[in-house]
Amino acid sequence: MNGENVVELRAVFKTYRLGKHTVQALQGIDLAVKRGEVVALTGPSGSGKSTLLNLCGLIDTADAGDILLDGKSVAGLDETGRTLLRRDALGFVFQSFNLVPVMTVAENVDYPLFIAGVPAIERRERVAAQLIAVGLEEHARHRPDALSGGQRQRVAIARALVKRPRLVIADEPTASLDSHTADQVVAIMQERCHAEGAAFVIATHDARLTPRCDRVLSLLDGRLQ
Amino acid sequence: MRWLVFAFQNTLRNRRRSLVTVAIAALGTAAILLAGGFAIYTYRALAQSAARSTGHLIVGLPEQFTKDEDTPLQYGLDDSAQLSARLQADPDVRHVLPRVAFSGLVSNGDKSTVMLATGVDPDHEFAVKGPFLSMLAGEVLTSNAAQAEVMLGEGLGKSLKAEPGSGLTLLASTTDGALNALDVVVEGVFSTGVPEIDKRLLYTDIVTAQRLLNTKRVSTLGVFLRSMEATTGAQQRVAGANPNLTVQTWTDQAFFYRSVRDLYNRIFGALGLIIGVIVVFVVANAMAMAIVERTREIGTLRALGTLPSQLLRSCALEGLVLGGVGALAGALIALGVSVLLDVVPVQMPPPPGSTRGYPLSIVVDPAMFALTVLAMVFVSMLASGWIARRTVHLPIVEALAHT
Repeated sequence: MNGENVVELRAVFKTYRLGKHTVQALQGIDLAVKRGEVVALTGPSGSGKSTLLNLCGLIDTADAGDILLDGKSVAGLDETGRTLLRRDALGFVFQSFNLVPVMTVAENVDYPLFIAGVPAIERRERVAAQLIAVGLEEHARHRPDALSGGQRQRVAIARALVKRPRLVIADEPTASLDSHTADQVVAIMQERCHAEGAAFVIATHDARLTPRCDRVLSLLDGRLQ
Repeated sequence: MRWLVFAFQNTLRNRRRSLVTVAIAALGTAAILLAGGFAIYTYRALAQSAARSTGHLIVGLPEQFTKDEDTPLQYGLDDSAQLSARLQADPDVRHVLPRVAFSGLVSNGDKSTVMLATGVDPDHEFAVKGPFLSMLAGEVLTSNAAQAEVMLGEGLGKSLKAEPGSGLTLLASTTDGALNALDVVVEGVFSTGVPEIDKRLLYTDIVTAQRLLNTKRVSTLGVFLRSMEATTGAQQRVAGANPNLTVQTWTDQAFFYRSVRDLYNRIFGALGLIIGVIVVFVVANAMAMAIVERTREIGTLRALGTLPSQLLRSCALEGLVLGGVGALAGALIALGVSVLLDVVPVQMPPPPGSTRGYPLSIVVDPAMFALTVLAMVFVSMLASGWIARRTVHLPIVEALAHT
């Protein structure tokens, strides 16, 4: 492991309680993702893909092991510290887009910059640039419900990348899209990843997606194969 | 500003629900302001009535206010003219009117009945009473009348079958305990609006009263000020300049005013509290539904790096929008009703113990309006924040999995 690693997991364990049962979601995961690398996580449902994404995205905590972001352990961070780290360093793309319906496309993309306190003039420029990059500049004033599924996912990608994150977490980003649209979205993700220099960790069942990734990791029963 | 815009946008997600919430907040605010405006109108009317009846300040010997007199004017003022001139020098004093209060009998020759009489300065007394004394027949007293005159309360006039021009005899004890009688002519018949008072009350000029009681004393001096607000300051000055006298304010003698104010404060205070609680519940209910529906979105915003405190602020601002729009609409409704009642007067029925109704009027008090609107906004924000606090602290994974 070296300083180029954006995120690094060391012997990470995670268990869930489902009623009276305890589920071993992750069992001793070791993983490192380098800057600008696109990593696909594959595996059957229940294999631990989403749990691993949640830990990489700092929206969940490990029971054991350590997680390092840019070489620094996040174990000692409180909730506010983790929130601020997510705000500054991480982007998210969700399967069902998760755009805010009352905001316009531009406002959705602008939101991460707004909460980070970026000045308005700079925000406008960066939002406009991202919308051009994902081909949605014409739809800046539209609301998400006026867009197609592919367009919405492009908005989500723009929202994830606008703050220039070091890591983007994408959970089944093409699952809600038809194959043609999925191809477009994957191409945009790949292009933006290389353009912005952000690492991507993508959980997917989509076989079309994996050939475009730098590395494909397979999870089974909470273990990397 | 962006958070406020976001909050406003959120209120438009379910317009019908927001409209109902705003409507209830508006009606609640309007109800509080209308009730409060009516109470303030009542307080002001009663205060004016009391102050015009007794004077803003009542000056007399201390015993006048604490002891019963054994003989008429036992605790009266001897040097009233001199004292009156000194009081008149105060810049806030408009009139100083002497009063001689006494009781006795009034007779028409066939029938005698008890009277509660007041000797007054006829030139100014009826001017300061204004609309609080209504003449039913005849004229008010004058100071240069050729013969002794009286004004009778409506009930007393009826009892004695007297009308303007009728001759009556007043009988009372003099200050030295002898019985004295004086023939008088009825100059007018009036009504105070309170039948129990009108059955006994009689006004005569102060000279006639002093002749009947065989004295130069007066009971008290009523000091009429240029404004109600000057009362406290004037009382302190007059009391300071006359340490041997007691100076009461009109509120000290206005038992009815104080009773009504206490009663109304409790009634309208409880009403306001109930309405406030209803508004809080309605806003809280609307916000609870909105926040449950947006749990997943809240999880997304948390994942993007929004602090729980920022989301709480956003939800509180939604409460501000709902409560604020409702409160402002309610204030406009109350203002409209107040103006409407000025344009199209509505007469209230006579209150218990009175024969006269009064116009329904709603006072538009800027301080009360501002305070009510602010209170509505505050409780709405508080309710919204309180409702949202659990959801914004939900684990993000749990919030994102919410369906």
